[in-house]
Amino acid sequence: MSVQSASASDRGARSGSRRRASAQAVTVAAVAVLSLLVIAAVAAPWIAPYDPLHQSLGAALQGPSTAHWLGTDDLGRDVLSRLVYGCRIAVIAAAEATSIAVVLGVPLGLFVGYRGGWWDWAVMRLVEAVVSIPGIMVAIVIIAILGTGLHRAMIALGILFSTSFLRLARGVVLTEREEVYVKLARVVGASDRRILLRHIFPNIAPPLIVQVTLTVGAVLLAEAGLSFIGLGVQPPDASWGTMLNTAASYMELNWFLAIPPGIAIVATVLSINLLGDVIRDSIGRGVAVGVKPTTPVARFEAAAPASPESAAPPPRRDDDVLRIEGLQVVVSAKEGGEVPVITDLSLAIARGETLGLVGESGSGKTLTGLSILGLIGAGGRSTHGTITLNGTELRALTERQREQVRGNAVAMVFQDPTTSLNPAFTVGNQIAEVLRAKKGLSRKAAWARTIELIDRVGIPRPAERARAYPHELSGGMAQRVAIARALSCNPALLIADEPTTALDVTVQQEILDLFRDLQDEFGMAILFVTHDLAVAADICDRIAVMYAGEIVEVAPVDTLFATPRHPYTRGLLSAMPHASDRDPPLPTIRGTVPRPGSWPRGCRFSDRCGFRTDACGQRVPLTGTGRLVRCLRAGDPELEAGR
Amino acid sequence: MLRLVVQRLLALVPLLFIVSVLTFSLTSLLPDDPADLIIGQWGTEQQFEMVRERLGLNEPLVPRYVHWLERALHGDLGTSFFNSVEVSDAVMQRLPVTLSLTAVSALIALLVGLAAGIAAALRPRSWTDRLATFGATIGQAIPNFWFGILLVAVFAVTLRWFPATGFTPLSSSPWEWLRSVTLPAIALGLASSAAIARQVRSAMVGVLQQDYIRAARAQGLSRRRVIFKHALTNALVPVVAVLSFQITVLLGGALIVEQVFAINGLGTLAITAVRRQDIPMIQGLVLVMVVLVVIVQLATDVVYGFLNPKARPS
Ligand code: SF4
Repeated sequence: MSVQSASASDRGARSGSRRRASAQAVTVAAVAVLSLLVIAAVAAPWIAPYDPLHQSLGAALQGPSTAHWLGTDDLGRDVLSRLVYGCRIAVIAAAEATSIAVVLGVPLGLFVGYRGGWWDWAVMRLVEAVVSIPGIMVAIVIIAILGTGLHRAMIALGILFSTSFLRLARGVVLTEREEVYVKLARVVGASDRRILLRHIFPNIAPPLIVQVTLTVGAVLLAEAGLSFIGLGVQPPDASWGTMLNTAASYMELNWFLAIPPGIAIVATVLSINLLGDVIRDSIGRGVAVGVKPTTPVARFEAAAPASPESAAPPPRRDDDVLRIEGLQVVVSAKEGGEVPVITDLSLAIARGETLGLVGESGSGKTLTGLSILGLIGAGGRSTHGTITLNGTELRALTERQREQVRGNAVAMVFQDPTTSLNPAFTVGNQIAEVLRAKKGLSRKAAWARTIELIDRVGIPRPAERARAYPHELSGGMAQRVAIARALSCNPALLIADEPTTALDVTVQQEILDLFRDLQDEFGMAILFVTHDLAVAADICDRIAVMYAGEIVEVAPVDTLFATPRHPYTRGLLSAMPHASDRDPPLPTIRGTVPRPGSWPRGCRFSDRCGFRTDACGQRVPLTGTGRLVRCLRAGDPELEAGR
Repeated sequence: MLRLVVQRLLALVPLLFIVSVLTFSLTSLLPDDPADLIIGQWGTEQQFEMVRERLGLNEPLVPRYVHWLERALHGDLGTSFFNSVEVSDAVMQRLPVTLSLTAVSALIALLVGLAAGIAAALRPRSWTDRLATFGATIGQAIPNFWFGILLVAVFAVTLRWFPATGFTPLSSSPWEWLRSVTLPAIALGLASSAAIARQVRSAMVGVLQQDYIRAARAQGLSRRRVIFKHALTNALVPVVAVLSFQITVLLGGALIVEQVFAINGLGTLAITAVRRQDIPMIQGLVLVMVVLVVIVQLATDVVYGFLNPKARPS
């Protein structure tokens, strides 16, 4: 922690390794504490300086001294010695109760899981009954029958905790049985019991180990509690619980008596719990255990030097609603450091215009939309460029001011309406909330307007539907509601992120028609993000094709479809299904969009491009006027001929 | 809502039946004859028979159970083996004590758990998060009664802000009640607040990644509103189940914590009864606990249905 350099990538890498190092340190410490406990338990007679039961009334309730490191108790017994012998009780208690729980619970769980039927029903109801009563009360009841004392109390705890092992074993059998039956259909002749057993042991071991650590911790706490209230270990025997019982009675005279046994309990339970966490995590990670993280990606230094390759900003138009110029967005990488995900992005949308942002997933389309809203999310931020909405530079605004803009001047419709509406509230409530928060409408006015809006987006019986929960609506209906919410404050710009992708094909067209309709009425600009060129062709005026975080081609929709100039655009177009085609199109572009951080040096499309030449190894600018393209060979006869 | 309650109640019938059978059979599970326990070794045969008759021990098992259940349903849980105290009187007298301790500690656990869990979830992996997670891990390893002893040492013995022992009923003095219940409730609630904090954190982290949170933010709703209305309502769904379970745990823990503060609640009653093998008293305690747990579960179901529209019966 001492050397903290300013470099983000170093910081990221180091915090990752620091976390692993501290996790290791915790494991080592936990193991050390538990080893110490076991050693103390085994070697108590040799370690303890005094006989733990030896009384010396003359030396009662003394504080720590050289003779008695941890002082003496009410009967003058040496606290340190009693603490050491207490380790023995703790180990015996944990071992005894946990073994009873395992020996009782696992076979019974395997049996009822395997037998099923009436046995399973009866035993599980019994378990439910036991679990529904507070654990301590169950233990107390069993002790009432068996009588007090360490071993009897541990039998009680063993019975109590056997329920969790029973449920665990039963659960494993039930899942494994399904799988075995599936396999049995193929492997005829083998006894299913043998196969089942062979499948169960490897699967039961990991959760069993985790459950054992959890149980040991719980047993230690419960044993101390029972001994504390006098139902476990009986005086004069030394256990941490009985020591605390003594301590509680002499609080006013010597509070220190409570410290050593308390710390012993906390340290032991904490260690076993931490160890349990580590075991659970490593089991959870499975094969990934021990895999070293890859080297951190270096910070994207001086990303996209603005001058040489930045395209001229799109020409200014009077009715521009949105202008983005030279936008760069970076996100922090898992391996540490930051990688650019959007570079040198410029675009403009006019009032009443629909701009399609098209590309494969991973090209940065959605992030472009979120950048406009200033909602890139944790770990991401925009570093360069301007986003101007109705003349206001959004990147310069404070978070408060941006909150004002969102919803009012710009709104967004998301891909999956069933997840973008809050499941806990009625759809009407979610629209009315926006109206009240953004427009300051009264409850009543907001509700009236909500119903108008729901009606406007073409939902029949709006007053009734307003009271529905999202899960009670079909996908198409829910998306109409989401659109109504987005339009509730009459935004100048609507960002639609794949708004039809999650919907049924028959519904898609209706939603597209709705967008067109609403645009005619409200006149907003639309940024329509989609991977589907057919949809884009249907609704957009112009299309910007995005690839690996940058725009590679911009053109009016007809021109783009008639004469695509970038090889990527052509690939997308030829992958497009024709209306008459039933079969999915053949993939004409091999591979996928390279991940941010592993973009090729020069033209980012070069590793998938069939036309690449040596010159493509350098950065390629976006060129042209009116229609723009980012390809060195755009207009090249060979490339044009290949169309 | 009424439908939900009735549905859930019916589902609980088998549980209640099994618990009642188990509780009833405690008498038969006892290694010694209860009449022995009551009269002691030196009783005459005649006294012995009288006691057996009074306890109904001479009846066959099934009619005896039916009788016992009948009386239990009417609130008659029999009398203690050791004095003529009615079990139901003894239990009812101490129930408010244990209940108020449990309720206050549940409230503390919920508030602390929510605050710590939300704070941790808002900035995953930050120092706040690590501190909260570390605190929760430690909190779950601290025995409630030891924490109680420490609280007494600091706030009662040294600072004298609170009484070290005893309990004042709410009805006699609300202020003194609050003073007497604060330390034990904090001691009792610590581990549960840790458990709740963990659950709140993980639920909240999950919910905050949901689309509808981003959509609500995109709609220009304030961060605070989105966190406390949109996210929390959804994150509370799993938390309710944990809280319900923790209330059961607290109820059990109260039996022990009461001993630290010399509070005369169900815990003291239970411990005395166990030491004397006073089975009717223990039966009464178990039944009361089960009824409490059932009430908590019903309340949980109602709250659950309120938070999660999908769980409502249509
Ligand atoms: S610049 Fe070169 S590699 Fe890139 S798209 Fe054009 S031809 Fe292909």
